[in-house]
Amino acid sequence: MARVGVFVCFCGANIGDFVDIPAVVEETKKIKDVKYAIEYKYVCSDPGQQMIRDTIVDHRLTSIVVAACSPRMHEKTFRKALSDAGMNPYLLEVANIREHASWVHQKDKEAATEKSCDLIRMAVAKSIANEQLHEISVPVTKRALVIGGGIAGIQAALDIADARIPVTLVEKSPSIGGRMAQLDETFPTLDCSQCILTPRMVDVASHPYIELLPYSEVTELDGYVGNYKAKIKKKASFVNFDTCTGCGTCWQKCPVKVPNEFNMGVDKRKAIYSPFPQAVPNKPVIDAEHCTMLIKGKCGVCAKVCEKGSIDYEMKDEMIEREIGAVVVATGFDLWDPKPYEEYGVGRFKDVITSLEFERMVSANGPTGGVPVRPSDGNVPKNVVFIKCVGSRDEAKGIEYCSKVCCMYTAKHAILLHHKVHDSHAYVFYMDIRAAGKGYEEFVKRAQVETGATYLRGRVSKIYKKGDKLMVIGEDAQIGQVVEVEADMVVLATAIYPYKDNPDLARLLGISYDKYGFLSEAHPKLRPVETAKAGIFLAGCTQAPKDIPDSVAQASATAAKVCALFSGDTMKKDPMIASVNPEFCSGCENCVSVCPYQAIVTEEIPMGHGSEEVRTVSKINEGVCQGCGSCVAICRSMAIDLAGFTDMQIINEIVAI
Amino acid sequence: MDYTMQIQDTAARLFSEEKIDLFIGYRSTGFDNNQVPVLIHHYQDVEQLVFTDKSVFNLTNYLKYEYTRNKRVGLVVKGCDSRSLNLMLTENQVKRENLFIIGIACEGVMNEQGEKAQNCVECVMPDAVIYDELLGAPTGQREYQVNADINELAEQPLIERGTHFEEIFENCIRCNACRHSCPLCYCNKCCIDQETSTLYQGSNTTSGAFHALMTWSLHLAGRCVDCRNCEKACPSHLPLHLLHKQNEQVIYENFQEHLAGMIKDDRGAFYKYSMSDPDDFIM
Repeated sequence: MARVGVFVCFCGANIGDFVDIPAVVEETKKIKDVKYAIEYKYVCSDPGQQMIRDTIVDHRLTSIVVAACSPRMHEKTFRKALSDAGMNPYLLEVANIREHASWVHQKDKEAATEKSCDLIRMAVAKSIANEQLHEISVPVTKRALVIGGGIAGIQAALDIADARIPVTLVEKSPSIGGRMAQLDETFPTLDCSQCILTPRMVDVASHPYIELLPYSEVTELDGYVGNYKAKIKKKASFVNFDTCTGCGTCWQKCPVKVPNEFNMGVDKRKAIYSPFPQAVPNKPVIDAEHCTMLIKGKCGVCAKVCEKGSIDYEMKDEMIEREIGAVVVATGFDLWDPKPYEEYGVGRFKDVITSLEFERMVSANGPTGGVPVRPSDGNVPKNVVFIKCVGSRDEAKGIEYCSKVCCMYTAKHAILLHHKVHDSHAYVFYMDIRAAGKGYEEFVKRAQVETGATYLRGRVSKIYKKGDKLMVIGEDAQIGQVVEVEADMVVLATAIYPYKDNPDLARLLGISYDKYGFLSEAHPKLRPVETAKAGIFLAGCTQAPKDIPDSVAQASATAAKVCALFSGDTMKKDPMIASVNPEFCSGCENCVSVCPYQAIVTEEIPMGHGSEEVRTVSKINEGVCQGCGSCVAICRSMAIDLAGFTDMQIINEIVAI
Repeated sequence: MDYTMQIQDTAARLFSEEKIDLFIGYRSTGFDNNQVPVLIHHYQDVEQLVFTDKSVFNLTNYLKYEYTRNKRVGLVVKGCDSRSLNLMLTENQVKRENLFIIGIACEGVMNEQGEKAQNCVECVMPDAVIYDELLGAPTGQREYQVNADINELAEQPLIERGTHFEEIFENCIRCNACRHSCPLCYCNKCCIDQETSTLYQGSNTTSGAFHALMTWSLHLAGRCVDCRNCEKACPSHLPLHLLHKQNEQVIYENFQEHLAGMIKDDRGAFYKYSMSDPDDFIM
């Protein structure tokens, strides 16, 4: 005999103002099987929970319905109250009369009240069919996977490894280092980017707890928190890393030249290459798309000159598997393509370049040896115009968000220009200066005062060519006039854009991303490091535009999360999962096909009736099942049911209204 | 279209080489040239086998029963039959190594009035898509066309359409012959029959028939190959194809021109999870 207790919450004014709660309670008391119903100001408060505990004991209740906010908010709280009173916590049912009634029907109290009654009726009917469920305990694999070897990935890997947890770091390019390796000096202290980065890169390579997989990509991730299985493709490098010494003879002799991605295509690299001198690992790879030996079977110069015989043209992609417990995603960013800004002459004028191209030019190991030059004629520019917010904060042509770092790096560029070319002059067109950060505002002042850069508040409307000069027409909003600047070179502060493969990666990992392609955090304020999928964390620009200190801080935060996850040997898992009734299963395996978590396997059972024959039926792997219910919906013979959401419970709910 | 001799020869050869335990084909009833399915167990019986444009039934239906399970079976399949066989193979109901399939490049079969059957006129794939031996000259896949009856129904006002379907459900006697005749209705225990389920009424009422037939048609959505075995089996002569053809059209238009059973290992429009499934409709 069911004895249901119902607790209706005012949630302060949240529900109380829009739903007639005393009427709801009166109505609830009329439901068969409801033995106790009461309203309370805040059921989630300590006295509210105490009331639930006392009532369970006093009235010998068999199941509990709390009519309050979404179960996402306080289901755990109330379950705890039930188990404290000696009741199975899964005998709780939450009727969401806040998000589903009071908030959405604020203008119609009567309808909201009626709907609240219906929601409670459904919850009561469902709760009667609730079964006692028990948490499942699953083991944890203590190894972390870090995807992306930029500064965020490096920091996360080092911090996790320092806690003596093995880490596999996967980087798709031949060397770790990422975008930070491309930078010259860093704001606001102007310390050399590579000088502070390369020691960390070396630490990664030499750390006993880090397995570095350069030139590799994650292709599959199966499983669940604590027990993921990753498939990683080690792309064929055509160079035996074990014997190669990184002497560099091969790339000096290679006859094929291709645009150098590391230098943003400003100069050329060879078909066999190492991206930059401090690369880790410092071994070359062969670019299979451009190597004539691999395309046409002619050449073979690198193999001839290699003293160690490390070149192997027969090398194939290799698939490896790693069992891991948690994933840190740190795929970084791409630069937004400024092509829509036709009025700036993007693509037409060679001397209109992007910020990262400028960064490579002023870098000491860059294509021009640290001196900015005009791509058109190779001359050193005197007057350089910097245009900020190219793409950022532009709903018409670009993207709505602020890229956060452009104000700072443009100030840095103005200073660096002055350092490299003493008689030069920088003009900066800006919308606002956003310099929130330690020492940031002072840094911008330094660019304006010490360097003497001319800051012009306003947008540039047009750039046209006059002789070999670029004429930049823009508005100076502070004097309210159109200004025209004669420039030798124009640098566009292009926006930070999510890494182009983020959507594919997100699907592979089973996490979500926003309309631009940034990966989504679980909560914008309180869970900025986690994703909605347990055991997968985000670090750096893969989530949103960030500068180096922010990326490093977030990376360390992911390490703390991973360490907390791995602090015990087992993890508790929700028992609300699917199960197969083999009697009804006809073995069509459609459930295997639709399961997004690969949680369903098949097993052979006897045919029965004394027959020696066997038949194949499906079986759910308890540890892997997430309780999504896809298999339940797809099973035509209704052989699969979901604990906590059984067919019987759902039918009860439908019948109740 | 007469492949009687070729089928008899092949069946005789298979029996003499002891490659099969039984052969499923058609035999003549001796009345109006009509044919019924026949299960041949012995070499000497192969003379009963015929195949003409009166060979209307889908023989793959017999593969779902106890007496063919784990036996080596030879059988004749037309284009539509071969598609249902493909699905049975994909859904693990029969093992390919147990089958010897005589595929027919079909020219269409006759209905009771002696005209070419509607599903043959509208057939998208007359050639067998899976076979060990093919008889006839393949003509390849044809362009998909929407069922004539569905087109006609679509022009009727909603009320009339409702009445039309209500008539179907009213005349259903819940004998379940449609289910028994369908090769893809092989479940151990049909959901409609489960005692534990309160979802379905067993009663022979209009609403009971509505529940049963609509569930049945949805369970065949993306799987029905339009062989019309169900219609041939229905003692009330209900136009059951209307339930399936509407689904077929919706799926063809919305699921990348999907047609059931054309490719092996294709589970149908609803029965797979893919990373590239569109998700832009999810908020």
